[in-house]
Amino acid sequence: MRRSSLVLRIVVIGYVGALLALPLGFVFQQAFSHGWAQLWAALHDHAMDLAIILTAKVAILAVPLNVLFGVGASLWIVRHPSKVSRVLDVVIDVPLALSPIIVGLVLELAYAQNGWFGSAFAAMGLRVMFSYPAIVLASVFVSLPLVSRQVIPLLREIGDHQEQTAATLGAKPTRIFFTITLRSIAWAAAYGVTLTLARVIGEYGAVLIVSGNIALITQTLTLNIGANFESFNSYQGFVGALLLALVSVLVLTVIGVSRHRLERKRHGSFV
Amino acid sequence: MAVSYSGVTKSYRGRLVLDGISDVVNEGELTALLGPSGSGKSTLLKIIAGLTPLDSGRVSLAGKDVTNTPARDRHIGFCFQDYAPFRHLSLRENIAYGLKVQHVARAQRREQVDELLRLVRLEDYADQYPHQLSGGQRQRMALARALAIKPDVLLLDEPFAALDAQVRAELRSWVRSLQQELGITTILVTHDQVEAMEIADRLVILNEGRIEQAGRPPFVYDHPATEFVASFLGPITSLGDIAYRPHELELVGVSDAAETLEVREVVRLGFEVRVILTNPKGSTTWVQLTHDQVKQINPRVGQRFGVRVRSTLAIPAATAAEPATPRETSHHEGSH
Repeated sequence: MRRSSLVLRIVVIGYVGALLALPLGFVFQQAFSHGWAQLWAALHDHAMDLAIILTAKVAILAVPLNVLFGVGASLWIVRHPSKVSRVLDVVIDVPLALSPIIVGLVLELAYAQNGWFGSAFAAMGLRVMFSYPAIVLASVFVSLPLVSRQVIPLLREIGDHQEQTAATLGAKPTRIFFTITLRSIAWAAAYGVTLTLARVIGEYGAVLIVSGNIALITQTLTLNIGANFESFNSYQGFVGALLLALVSVLVLTVIGVSRHRLERKRHGSFV
Repeated sequence: MAVSYSGVTKSYRGRLVLDGISDVVNEGELTALLGPSGSGKSTLLKIIAGLTPLDSGRVSLAGKDVTNTPARDRHIGFCFQDYAPFRHLSLRENIAYGLKVQHVARAQRREQVDELLRLVRLEDYADQYPHQLSGGQRQRMALARALAIKPDVLLLDEPFAALDAQVRAELRSWVRSLQQELGITTILVTHDQVEAMEIADRLVILNEGRIEQAGRPPFVYDHPATEFVASFLGPITSLGDIAYRPHELELVGVSDAAETLEVREVVRLGFEVRVILTNPKGSTTWVQLTHDQVKQINPRVGQRFGVRVRSTLAIPAATAAEPATPRETSHHEGSH
């Protein structure tokens, strides 16, 4: 092995180790530090369990919403380009550029009882802020472009000749969509879904502001972990962090597999 | 099935791509739409297929107006230049796609696909995926897929452009014999005049969204309506104000000619030899000679010759830039 390459490897491994492996290892070590019985009890912590359920409920709504939006917006931007769709193509990236805190504040400005549309909802007797809808809204917002950023380049690359050929073979638009378009973008969309899921589960800043962080009611898993550390209940915090880390590992595995499939598909070497 | 279109006009992003063109394609014929890139030939093909909407004009199949009929109901087979294989489907599934859409029963479908696989000589590749096939195989797959629905008309967009020279020549004659065997009305788009003249019953030469000329290949070659057609189908040179095919000129001794030209260059390309001459006013003419002719007269740079015209292409070179009225077919709306 050349010396420069050896140095490079040590630097990279050291960097990743210090940033990722050590802290993650620390989380595992802390979570298991009181033995299995304690861990089992901590897993049944009432507030944490409610937080997990809330996070799952948010993901169950936010992820499909963003998949529908992401695939729809991608098709519109690529297949029916117009001035409006070109604006959307740029605007769709805004959530990635904005700090989640800003996202939270903007949503609060808009949906608070005395906000821009919040007052209208309040008149109908609906409270958006500090409730489940607000958390979903914030989660959808921060993960808005994650599906379309995967799907748009693929749609551009494959073009519309396959779809047009299917039309000349007698296929109706819905059939073309399900047998050609959706089949072509399935793996890119799946990759987008896992990214969205990871982001929705892990979001902290925006959700912190719009949820009000009310324990047992509007506290997601990330907020619950934060709250436990703040109230010096760090063991419970580490257990929550362990769960979050395990979900991340699972999601990353799915991402890895689907990206692998996607790459092979893009280079035409899939079966 | 005969295809006709009249007054077909299409603008794209403010540019006129097709300028009110009309033509009739006879049943069972292979027509080549020939023209340089940007002449509107591919757009015309997609308009006939119903894949691109037109701004004005009509398209008819067997006398029936299909201008507002969607592509899926036109029963036209279409092959893209890139063959557009369904990448996630095997070769067999690609060919079966149109039959599935028509709800052909499984056993019958299998039988028909097997027959098509034999027809395009891809029996051994039935379960392969498009990326495992060569360019020529993909092209035959696209052809089989289009033929599966037993279309009334076959449209091929630059079918051989993406293939290397040897495969191209083979497929060209194979497609031609297949087309004759099936007797299917076919329109093929190409920018290659040799390909068009070899394969087509009839040429339609497009330039800047207009039909310059339409007719049988030998006729159009010998009687080009415009200098554009003349120069697109083969080399031309001018002598005085008249355009000629360089192989229709010959060199004669000075005493036999009124005007003499001086040899400036002799280019030997194997069998063909190009002799480039200039007249006293400085204009250039070139004459195409065979190897044997050159041996006889042995032209050398600086030598003077007269030029005799064997036959005339007869397009006044001076009017070359103006768009001329095409011959044989008329292309004004209402003429059909």
